[in-house]
Amino acid sequence: MAPSARTLLAQMAPDFPARHVGDLYTDTTEFMRISHGDVIVLADRHFLVLRDEAERRFGMEDPKFWVKRCRCLETGGRNILKLVFHESFPMTIGTMTVTCTRSPRKETRILDLVHGDDRFMQGETIYDTADNPVRILDIVPGKRLDEKIEALEMPHRDYFHDHFPEVLERFIEACQAIQWLHDRGEKHGDIRRDHLYVLRETGRYCWIDFDYTFDFQESPFGLDLFGLGNIIQFLVGMGQHTTQALTPSQRVIIDANDCSIMFPNRVVNLKKLFPYIPESLNNILLRFSLAAEVYYDTTAELIDDLSRARDALSQPTL
Amino acid sequence: MHTAKILIAYDGSDNARRAVSYTAAMVGSGGNRLVDVAAIERPADRDLFADDAAWKAECARRIEAMRTSLNEARAMLVAAGVPEAAVTTRFVESCRSPLREAQECSIGTSIALEILRLAEEGGYDTVVVGRRGVSKQEEFLFGSVSTKIIHAAKGLAVWVVA
Repeated sequence: MAPSARTLLAQMAPDFPARHVGDLYTDTTEFMRISHGDVIVLADRHFLVLRDEAERRFGMEDPKFWVKRCRCLETGGRNILKLVFHESFPMTIGTMTVTCTRSPRKETRILDLVHGDDRFMQGETIYDTADNPVRILDIVPGKRLDEKIEALEMPHRDYFHDHFPEVLERFIEACQAIQWLHDRGEKHGDIRRDHLYVLRETGRYCWIDFDYTFDFQESPFGLDLFGLGNIIQFLVGMGQHTTQALTPSQRVIIDANDCSIMFPNRVVNLKKLFPYIPESLNNILLRFSLAAEVYYDTTAELIDDLSRARDALSQPTL
Repeated sequence: MHTAKILIAYDGSDNARRAVSYTAAMVGSGGNRLVDVAAIERPADRDLFADDAAWKAECARRIEAMRTSLNEARAMLVAAGVPEAAVTTRFVESCRSPLREAQECSIGTSIALEILRLAEEGGYDTVVVGRRGVSKQEEFLFGSVSTKIIHAAKGLAVWVVA
């Protein structure tokens, strides 16, 4: 007979308060029932559930009941366990709605593909007794890139000249990581600025969360490219610039064509706000504007333009 | 006498049917023209399904629907007077299809490029494609087969039926 959670925790986590000890789970199908103090058993490993993960968006805590923050009882290390949750839901992007599907299989495949590559979050999949692919993720040792940028307290001009060149260099590497996925027929699926981390030790950027997928036949990587465009706008601008936040003098010079093709209130022609942004860099942003006639078809095209913009940044200005 | 070869890019949509209808009206019974209606399989994405059985069932349903639709396209052309012998249809299976039988298959990264490959290999003079009339936002995000064909076509005429 398998030991109870109480017996296991008494042996392997004696510091854990006995009053919070829950149940042992080898089948994670009913993930809503699994909570703080329960132990998930996967093959020969045991994970003490500490809490459900939550995402903070638009000022609200959005609990993710299928994602558990855990302590591995064998190693003592922290892991995030993603349990199987099949869902399809409409996602609104500007004025459009696309159907997004959560695919544990896709994330499992990508985790295998990127094993050992620090440009991506790391983890492995173990199947529970009901054959659910449970993804055991390492905690990314770093901080969200967007939070680091937002925490900078300096004028944009100083940021742009002193910090942005390195940010761009790292971002190009991050784009190359996405291109590497695309070259292998895979898409990230959920490229957002809060899904890009800065690794504490190396300063390199690391992508997280690969379980979203979409059925875009003619432009399978279109959504990834759109996400990369949003991030470069944020990085160049040292944050997002909406039409609502413009000063009266800026409002006079910004029109609809200067804004994002998907978000009419988001300014992407940032050279109009920050004239020292080089043309070659601003032209990249304009490819995501309402005025654009030609769009990026591949990540390689975007990387080529970003590399040219990086070279232009390093040229001495008169 | 030179025989014109026309390739219709077909996906069973209303726009594709309009492209067939237009071609039928243009070609009719006159001239010495061959019309090929080509559909590239778009299998359902495996990752969108919880299990293989549901995925394969959806792929099979799509194949059946497309074969039926191709027969209808053929009937439209013949009804307009195009000689039966001058009309062919073809269904190019996707390499990603779990039900694939043919040796030749579409790698499926771009329907537009697949159509142009068929046109080049088959020595077609004209490619006909329907256009959805998408917004800029849709084209930006989802891409457009007709736009890509227009941009990438070389050495042939493209009829875009909007």
